[in-house]
Amino acid sequence: MGYAGNETPQFIIPTTIATRETSAGSTISKSSGQNFSNLSSKRGIEDLDFFIGDEALLNSKTYQNSWPIKHGQVENWDLMEKYHQACLFQYLRCEPEDHFFLLTEPPLNAPENREFTAEIFFESFGVKGLYIAVQAVLALAASWTHKESQRTLTGTVIDSGDGVTHVIPVAEGYVIGSSIKHIPIAGRDLTYFVQQLLRERENSIPPEDSLEVAKKIKEMYSYVCPDIVKEFKKYESEGDKWFKRHEFIHSVTQKPYTIDVGFERFLGPEIFFNPEIASSEFLTPLPDVVDGVIQSCPIDTRRGLYKNIVLSGGSTMFKDFSRKLQKELKKTVDARVRMSETISQQNMDTMAQIRSKEVEVKVLSHKRQRYAVWYGGSLLADTVNI
Amino acid sequence: MPAYHTQFTDENNYRVIGNISMLPIKTKTRGPAPIFPGDGEDIIDETINLFRANCFFRNFEVKGGGDRVLIYLTLFITECLQKLSQKPLQSQQEGLRALNTLAVGNFLIPGDGGFPLNALFERPANKVDSENMRNYLMQLRNEMAIRLCSRVFEQDKISKWWLCFSKRKFMGINGG
Repeated sequence: MGYAGNETPQFIIPTTIATRETSAGSTISKSSGQNFSNLSSKRGIEDLDFFIGDEALLNSKTYQNSWPIKHGQVENWDLMEKYHQACLFQYLRCEPEDHFFLLTEPPLNAPENREFTAEIFFESFGVKGLYIAVQAVLALAASWTHKESQRTLTGTVIDSGDGVTHVIPVAEGYVIGSSIKHIPIAGRDLTYFVQQLLRERENSIPPEDSLEVAKKIKEMYSYVCPDIVKEFKKYESEGDKWFKRHEFIHSVTQKPYTIDVGFERFLGPEIFFNPEIASSEFLTPLPDVVDGVIQSCPIDTRRGLYKNIVLSGGSTMFKDFSRKLQKELKKTVDARVRMSETISQQNMDTMAQIRSKEVEVKVLSHKRQRYAVWYGGSLLADTVNI
Repeated sequence: MPAYHTQFTDENNYRVIGNISMLPIKTKTRGPAPIFPGDGEDIIDETINLFRANCFFRNFEVKGGGDRVLIYLTLFITECLQKLSQKPLQSQQEGLRALNTLAVGNFLIPGDGGFPLNALFERPANKVDSENMRNYLMQLRNEMAIRLCSRVFEQDKISKWWLCFSKRKFMGINGG
């Protein structure tokens, strides 16, 4: 959340809201006539007695915490309205009547949700104007900052956060809904895998800290390697250069301890390219999924989709992630082109050589990947005419 | 990118018993395996190099007799690492002794009941073949024990950068 034209969001607020238990409806409906008037006179104040985001988490002992959004869907619109109210007045401190707002929605959002949101913004807050953009499109817009970007709204967005990774094809600003694919491998699985590797080797990590340690190591040291076997050899021959040590402080006793950081540096992100090493349910590597998604799109969009693959979200920020993805994808695509060349050569009896035009594969990696959606929104909202 | 395969795939060059290839190795122990010419990387070095990457994989597409040797040796490395991790060893010598005992001790060959990969490996055709296979595998195990020891020990202490892989289950099989 922030103002258009900024580079990074001003506020990042978890969607949680803490309310007084008494205002949660159950007690009010139970109360009989006598003290009803008493309660209703108090209601005016109680309505304002709530916290959102980190403040809500801090007050979770005396207040009741709830999460109005579950699995990307709003479940409690009353609380959501309160949440927006606090966002606007407490954090942004703006007059909604004077501003235009840009909200985002996930691809395939139900129109009803959009209607409800618009209702809240227009009728409760009386905003001047509102635009609800699709997140993937904004992620595409964010990649325009990259110097090699073609500045189109056609491309494939790979959005990997903590829970799921989405591969979303966008053609001319419109999401191709039927081709979207979700991969159940994302930041959290990576953390768990790193944690497991650490547990098998380091015995100095206190169990209560191990998840935090794994997260730290993932964020600070991970990178993508071109080939695991070669990477293992590198670690063996030039250990000093690759093995790292990191000092951590025990969260309870405050005693410092050190941990050697080794193979998990490249094995962690490797689960995107070889899911088999960490999970037993999902086995398709990310490049294959991306290829499948693009192949399921209308044929006239495919070249554009291969040419502009955009990364978004924190789990795509590993060094050389884009390079490896591009390389593997190019390999699959080239193999297919060669195959179709030979097949059509066989079907045609002419002497002429059949040459198909090379398919360009380009994965863009840029500096704003982490908050790509927000940044794209900021960029788009700041543009006078598109 | 699937698991890594061996380079020794040309089945015509090597004798085959059961359905595993008899690959040449560099060794001083006696046995039926042919002598590896020159100084290059034989199947044992190759398996050690590929081990840390391959042990993460649960599926392995067998492309030939050479790959079967690779699988067998990979599982044997897991077994060795487990052995080494069981008790604290004082020196490389002691480690080598422990592994040598493991290498020549009672072990199962394809076709025996309880051999974990009977679906992939063929039972040797007759008594002679079976004896041959046992000797070949024993030779492989012996050489592996020696070379693994020189790789995983750092100044009389076993490296934790190897030991951490002892809990991995290659192809879903627990080595021990």
